[in-house]
Amino acid sequence: MVDATQAVPQKSLKQWHSPDSRQEVIHELIHGVDRYNPSNLPYMEEYLSSQIKDGEYDLLANLAILKLYQFNPQMSNPEVIINILLKSLSATVHGPDFNLCLSLLREPAAILHDIESDEQSLITVMPLLQELHTLLRTCQFTAFWKTLNGDEEGAQILRQQYLPQQPHLESSLRILIATSIASCFSRVPIARLSNWINLSSSDLSSWSESIGWKVEGDVAVVPKNGDNDVKAGVVKESVELNQLTKLVSAAAF
Amino acid sequence: MADPNAFYEPEEDELLSSLAVPAYQSGNDASYEDEYRRLQELEQHAYAQQVAQQEQAELEQSQMLEVVPEDVKRFLVLFHQAILENDLPTITNMYESGWNKLTQAHYSQNEWPEAEIIAPLVQSDQVFLTLYRELYFRHVYAKLQPTIDDRFQSYENICELFNYLLNSEGPVPLDLPIQWLWDMLDEFVYQFQSFAQWRANPKNKNEEELEMLAEAPQIWSCYSVLNVLYSLVQKSQINEQLKAEKEGKTAEEVAEIAGAYGSKSLYRNLGYFSLICLLRVHVLLGDPTLALQTMENVELGGGAFLTRITACHVTTYYHVGCAYMALGRWPDAMKTFVSVLIFFIRMKQYHTRSYQYGSITKTCERMYALLAICTTLSPGPSDESIMSIVKEHYGDQLTILQRGGEEALETFKELYLQACPKYLSVNPPPYEDQSALESYIANPPQDATQRHVELFLSDVKAVRGVVGARNLLKLYTSIDASKLAAFLDEEGKKDREEEVLEQLMVLKAASRTYAKAQGEGSSLLDGERIVTNNLDFTIDGSMVHVEETTSHRRFAGFFIRNAEHAQRVFNTIRAAPLPTAKESRQTHAGGPSKGGPGGQQGQQGGGGAGGGQGQGAGSGAWQPRRQVRIAAAS
Repeated sequence: MVDATQAVPQKSLKQWHSPDSRQEVIHELIHGVDRYNPSNLPYMEEYLSSQIKDGEYDLLANLAILKLYQFNPQMSNPEVIINILLKSLSATVHGPDFNLCLSLLREPAAILHDIESDEQSLITVMPLLQELHTLLRTCQFTAFWKTLNGDEEGAQILRQQYLPQQPHLESSLRILIATSIASCFSRVPIARLSNWINLSSSDLSSWSESIGWKVEGDVAVVPKNGDNDVKAGVVKESVELNQLTKLVSAAAF
Repeated sequence: MADPNAFYEPEEDELLSSLAVPAYQSGNDASYEDEYRRLQELEQHAYAQQVAQQEQAELEQSQMLEVVPEDVKRFLVLFHQAILENDLPTITNMYESGWNKLTQAHYSQNEWPEAEIIAPLVQSDQVFLTLYRELYFRHVYAKLQPTIDDRFQSYENICELFNYLLNSEGPVPLDLPIQWLWDMLDEFVYQFQSFAQWRANPKNKNEEELEMLAEAPQIWSCYSVLNVLYSLVQKSQINEQLKAEKEGKTAEEVAEIAGAYGSKSLYRNLGYFSLICLLRVHVLLGDPTLALQTMENVELGGGAFLTRITACHVTTYYHVGCAYMALGRWPDAMKTFVSVLIFFIRMKQYHTRSYQYGSITKTCERMYALLAICTTLSPGPSDESIMSIVKEHYGDQLTILQRGGEEALETFKELYLQACPKYLSVNPPPYEDQSALESYIANPPQDATQRHVELFLSDVKAVRGVVGARNLLKLYTSIDASKLAAFLDEEGKKDREEEVLEQLMVLKAASRTYAKAQGEGSSLLDGERIVTNNLDFTIDGSMVHVEETTSHRRFAGFFIRNAEHAQRVFNTIRAAPLPTAKESRQTHAGGPSKGGPGGQQGQQGGGGAGGGQGQGAGSGAWQPRRQVRIAAAS
């Protein structure tokens, strides 16, 4: 498994669709018809909390929760929905995860209507999360942090109620952003980095060390990772012998 | 999987049987005796009336049976006979051509006779009548406008059929051609989709319809449809079977795993097609990951079972491609579409007679539109012949898409709406609650397709600066970000340079994606990170270094293909019998059949016409082989 602290993207999707941290029980649950059984909901929600606590991420299991909500709207739990969205937000910059979650959800008002809840925070938080997602996937990281730490009501609710629940959220967001940066830059100015990562320059050097970047003067040096050290090349056609077997055998007559 | 029956099975069967048979309310116990007596009298009276009615109905039915054309009657009797005997070739023939011919001759404007009318012809064989009704309703859906009664009865009928298949004691002694089994399940999902769309709009419904919808929320509900499909999958143990086959187990071992039901071709095929229908339903309900996960054991390659039925092949690939699009895996989506389109173009000539030909062509047309979208979002080499058709059909739109800007967004939306699956929402409007329904009508929620279009457009919007940035970078080998900022100016922001750098990171990400590896044994969800564009760059501080990888044109594939083609043509000509020109018959008596083909090559000069014919027939024979090969390779 690729070490998540290295700030490089996963080479394959294996960990994405079946992470090592997923237990056998969960695996069977989401691969069988039992995923439609609403009595498993508490169990699945508990698995979500353990993901949040341990900084793990299992998209397919979380989608299974949303699927159960889709079929049993009266069981929807706005808090769980927001946690799932936050989780997928902090899991990938350009991946489809956040939209995959949204495609199983309806408008916040409709969700709240079905559970007859007076707690309206979902209505203010959902659009904010969507905005954050847009900022993130368009790499507007400075604006992203600004919005997350801004005065909007949704952001305040997030900071008061949800961020304290998610101890790994900020650090995984930073790793995520660092991955985007690392895919382009071989060296990145400290001033910019500090905006993108939302860390003061004094904290920046120890953070950079932790993901293997070196601070040299006013730039951070990003180790080569295959994306930030591309070289122009020429792709020539190579013909393998086994492509020619038919021709060769025909010529043998 | 430990024990797939462990949790949900009993409830499921319960649901299934309760679906099939409409539930009757058991009458309250009458507490007073006279009340009871009165009821009894009433009942008797009603019974007498009912008997009279029944007789009357029977009389009418027999009269109506007389009106049924003779050839239809004969057809039904023989059809019944063939099904009783499990005579597959005859059933196939009657199903594929007989039924359609009679439909054209007698029922192009109206329904086939109702099952009750023709029941005497088949000794009221309930299984046959259920199968007959399935065809009857399919015809109504295809050619006429189904009423709410048709929709309800069709549902009850198909549930009865599945109930018979799933809940009989042991496997049923029935066998049907795969084409029919596929059509049956395909139609099942189609009718579900059609009903869900019809139900989603509470306007324009009359009192009676509203009442019926309020009373029967379980009819065509997502739960019941999934239930049927999952039950078929479980009963046939199809996943376990496919897994075992992949592991290379012997036929006996597979049969043992399959069990009493799954080892029968009827159940196996139904299970297999159910997986594909599940793929489709999951895509329609907006869950692409689950859709692809469902297909994890199904082989999609050139010789796969599903390619034996063109409609099934096209449907499968269309939905897999759509699922990949939702995952942002554009190259995989394109590969999927291209491979089935190549197949379809080459197979076209053999399938014009199928009654589904129209809908298959429509699906293919949609895939061309989706290809136009994908190729804009992830430009890269692809099959040239298919891409030229895309350009032919969507040339104008492609130009707009590639130009970018607001207009492009509008075109993306238009194309997507025209080509995407007709998404469904799981929850119907609240028909059972009058006041809720009124507020629903007054303030209808966004429909499912609209939601998915918006999600798709958000994907498009996220990368809308990419085309411009890429075109600009092409002009340089290295350029400072601040200079680039001057070119790429949008509405003035304070830190233009930062904006440019952010755009470049988006560009970088847009040139990377995950794609399914070629290797065996990887599931559809698997993928390796790949680079999709030749133009690449690195940034050192604020200096952008552009690196463009050029690739030479590939010739080898072309030459190999054509050399092999020529070889095959040559072989066919060589193997063809000598032309039997009339005047030379005496001199070459017996030659064509006995003589070695090689020796006669030299003498062929005189019979040019005959030789040409031989080649023509030969090319018909080898062409399909070549198609399959190429479809597999691409």
